[in-house]
Amino acid sequence: MAGIDTGGGHGGKRSTNHEIPLIPFIDFLLCLVAFLLVTAVWSQMARINADARVPGPPKDEPPEDVKKEKQLNVEMKETKFVLIWKEGNTVVNTIEVEKKAVPVGNEGDIRYPDLAKKIVEEWTQNGSHRGDLKDDKKTDQAILHTDNSTPFSDVVAVIDAIYTPKRDCSICERGKSVKLPGFNVTFSVN
Amino acid sequence: MSEKPLSRFVQPIAQPGRRLLHHIPLRFVRKKVSGGGQRSVNQEIPLIPFIDFLLCIVLFLLASFSASGELPIDKNVKLPNAENVLDMTDAPMVAVTGTQILVDGTPAGNTRAIVEANRLQRVDELFNVLKNKRELWKQLNPGKEFSGIVVLQVDRKVEALVVKSVFQTAAFAGYPNVSFMVGRLGQQG
Repeated sequence: MAGIDTGGGHGGKRSTNHEIPLIPFIDFLLCLVAFLLVTAVWSQMARINADARVPGPPKDEPPEDVKKEKQLNVEMKETKFVLIWKEGNTVVNTIEVEKKAVPVGNEGDIRYPDLAKKIVEEWTQNGSHRGDLKDDKKTDQAILHTDNSTPFSDVVAVIDAIYTPKRDCSICERGKSVKLPGFNVTFSVN
Repeated sequence: MSEKPLSRFVQPIAQPGRRLLHHIPLRFVRKKVSGGGQRSVNQEIPLIPFIDFLLCIVLFLLASFSASGELPIDKNVKLPNAENVLDMTDAPMVAVTGTQILVDGTPAGNTRAIVEANRLQRVDELFNVLKNKRELWKQLNPGKEFSGIVVLQVDRKVEALVVKSVFQTAAFAGYPNVSFMVGRLGQQG
């Protein structure tokens, strides 16, 4: 067994050799392993947000100057995406992006990197709320227009692309700045 | 351990060698148990590599430990994966499988009526269950602000019409902050 041997301890003196009790230590480690194995979480689940509160969560004070903000409408067509910046009912800008799905993993997931890239460019140029969330509590609004028969996995791929642009939030977690999506997504019901 | 020191100075670190049963004070017992000139019948179990192995397991499990616990996922739901995700939150769980809608594992309507009508509509049973949950929360937490968060577990093959109907129903029932549960994909570049 493991021990510390100084070679002394003769001549009626108290021995300076010591045995380290390894068996209780192993028992403790085994208990720890068993506990951690029982409580282990093997699945990596997360969430993707979609908010029905447009233009944002309610506030206590009444709005002073109701200004129509730019909203990004993302239309899912059969062969392309149409990005439309609208200010109320006025169309400010229209951009078309080719619908190029890139398969990811082996579970049938797809991504739209071209759409994500275009949305990042558009948000950088036209987004109204790009600063730290500490100074600007509002978030740019994106409205997703999709066909009723579109599978949910495609909808998630588009929402994921819309959430690619990120902004800082120094008040979300104590002591460190985190990145949050630059858009808040909701669905069009038309 | 030899009884004589290796040099005229006392060695602070012992010479490596067998330890098990070599410290028995009675010489004849020690000789007997450690072999007595013959091959010893006693075997030493290599405990140090075993402890190293256990420590590695403990460190790995501690690194992957999550205090929030495991999330209940419906067996029939195959979730899509996404990259730009947020951490999970504690909220009512609405699972949408092929035709069934479940709230925290309890049936709360089905999607057949939506598919047959082929238009966006409110799911009354789900609306009532969520509304009751909201009222119960408000009774249990008077004076506290209701977050209105609900998590939807939607199968990847479910049509957008059903998703939008459930989304709208949740918003009508007082849960406008809807999150979709997804698997976490690794961040690129």
